Amino acid sequence: MTIMSESAARDAGEQTRVAFGLALTELAKMDETVVAVSADTQDLMALRGMMENHPERVVDAGIAEQNAMGIASGLATAGLRPFLCGYAPFITARSMEQLRNDVAYAHQRVVIGAAASGISLGVSGGTHHALEDLGLMRALPNMTAIVPADVHQAWNAVMACDDIDGPVYIRLGGRVPEPSVTEREATFQIGRADRLREGNDVTIFACGCLVGAALQAADALTGEGVAVRVFNMHTIKPLDRDAVLAAAAETKGIVTAEEHRMTGGLGGAVAELLALENPAPMRMVGMPDEFAVVGPTPKVREGYGMSTANIVSSCRELLG
Amino acid sequence: MASNLETVVDRLNNEALKIRRNLWRAYYAAGSGHVGGSSSAADLLAALYFHYLKVRPDEPDWPDRDRFVLSKGHANGALAAVLAQAGFIPESHLDEFYGYQTLMGMHPDIKLAGVEMSTGGLGHGLSIGVGMAFGARLKKSPSRTVVMLGDGELQEGSNWEAAMAASHLGLSDLSAILDYNKIQQSGHVQDVLKLEPLADKWRAFGWAVREINGHDMTEIVAALEALPYADDIPSMLIAHTVKGKGVSFAEDTHLWHQNIIDYEVYQKALAELGEPA
Repeated sequence: MTIMSESAARDAGEQTRVAFGLALTELAKMDETVVAVSADTQDLMALRGMMENHPERVVDAGIAEQNAMGIASGLATAGLRPFLCGYAPFITARSMEQLRNDVAYAHQRVVIGAAASGISLGVSGGTHHALEDLGLMRALPNMTAIVPADVHQAWNAVMACDDIDGPVYIRLGGRVPEPSVTEREATFQIGRADRLREGNDVTIFACGCLVGAALQAADALTGEGVAVRVFNMHTIKPLDRDAVLAAAAETKGIVTAEEHRMTGGLGGAVAELLALENPAPMRMVGMPDEFAVVGPTPKVREGYGMSTANIVSSCRELLG
Repeated sequence: MASNLETVVDRLNNEALKIRRNLWRAYYAAGSGHVGGSSSAADLLAALYFHYLKVRPDEPDWPDRDRFVLSKGHANGALAAVLAQAGFIPESHLDEFYGYQTLMGMHPDIKLAGVEMSTGGLGHGLSIGVGMAFGARLKKSPSRTVVMLGDGELQEGSNWEAAMAASHLGLSDLSAILDYNKIQQSGHVQDVLKLEPLADKWRAFGWAVREINGHDMTEIVAALEALPYADDIPSMLIAHTVKGKGVSFAEDTHLWHQNIIDYEVYQKALAELGEPA
């Protein structure tokens, strides 16, 4: 696997969507079957480099996500490796039937890069928030769903798709900075959570932009003498069952943290597994069953409790 | 002495008759089926599979094969029939239509030999065809792509996204064939949501358009042989057809868009269709 170069990491500028485009550009140099399908996302997804190197392998479907999804499926049947670049709220909900039928049901190797997920477009309002996309992806058989926590993981996720015989959804951020929480050289394995902190009191499973908050929460609790186990759950499907079940057996409870509705996302996935295999005390940090208000992303996150403070208090609740 | 064309037309008409008999056979085995839209497409499918498409039934994944996508996937009875007649699948599969754990459901399944895409959700096929045709271009493959559309499904907006993209990309190796039988599930298309002026719409979207009688094999053969109709843009063949064509009681009525088929009805249909040569 090609790791991200220092210059690429700099160029990505703490934006996973840019890292995705840079990785795609790099991959296209190595693999002539790689094709970018854009839904009017040439700048959003940093496709200009690939357009310069391989103009014939970038097809822009325009603002037409349904068609973009169908094109990607058709390309995959021809033995090409399409990477579909879209806005998370539109490339999932707008083209969901094409995604289900033409990509997941037909079991095509289509990679979907979904930028501006969660409430990264906070001020754009509910029409532009994607807080159910993981739930939609998780409900589809054959699908792999990845939430890179930073630019290194976004890069690694693109490279790791090579090993996946089926569709992959890569959830990416918007224009809000996503500070690194992993090392550039760190290994990345789809379906295997990264164990970031050791501890046997309580476990936090976090994904995406909440990984940083989880680490801060763990640090705060360590100061109180609480040993917190922290995982970066970068793959939502397939879920790292071993990590969850071990946490249920070895620690006093589990907190999930995600920028997604608690229904259907990481929290839902962990809860379903625990309910069936080993019911354990649990708290979820994430978006409640509401459409989020308009506002700057950090404030909206904070307002719904997607914060270090809420992760800390959720851990304390489990410890009694 | 018959001319070469007459021989071809006779052969294709005979295959079309077999398709009609076989689709009734499949739907009788199933107990019901989309007779109307399968029958209207039978002549077009016969000409496609036995005269136009470069495919290899003994090597269904041959990379340079032509691609055919049945966007109006509910006409799967006709597709299964032609795939059986061409040798992609055994004819006995037709007697397993709708059977538990078979690949012979109401709609085409990509896992079945000869089926290029699982279809059935309407308004999907043309986008997939755009991807296939663009993929063939990137692969420098001579493969041509043909998508068969239904008229009712043109009410899905995604078709028009695909139509724009195909002309924008200059996909001259992409052709669409419209099985224009004028009837959808609830009634006549013009009453449910009108499409006309349809040829003008396709021209306005940047396609080269021809119109034929979709049951006149001589016209069908000429129209397929003339593809593509222009350089650098995709081609649309509007084939005017009759829903349920070939069986009088099923013709030109939405009641036979999909209907129940018992032994008596099946026998009446076969009697009307007659025996193939």
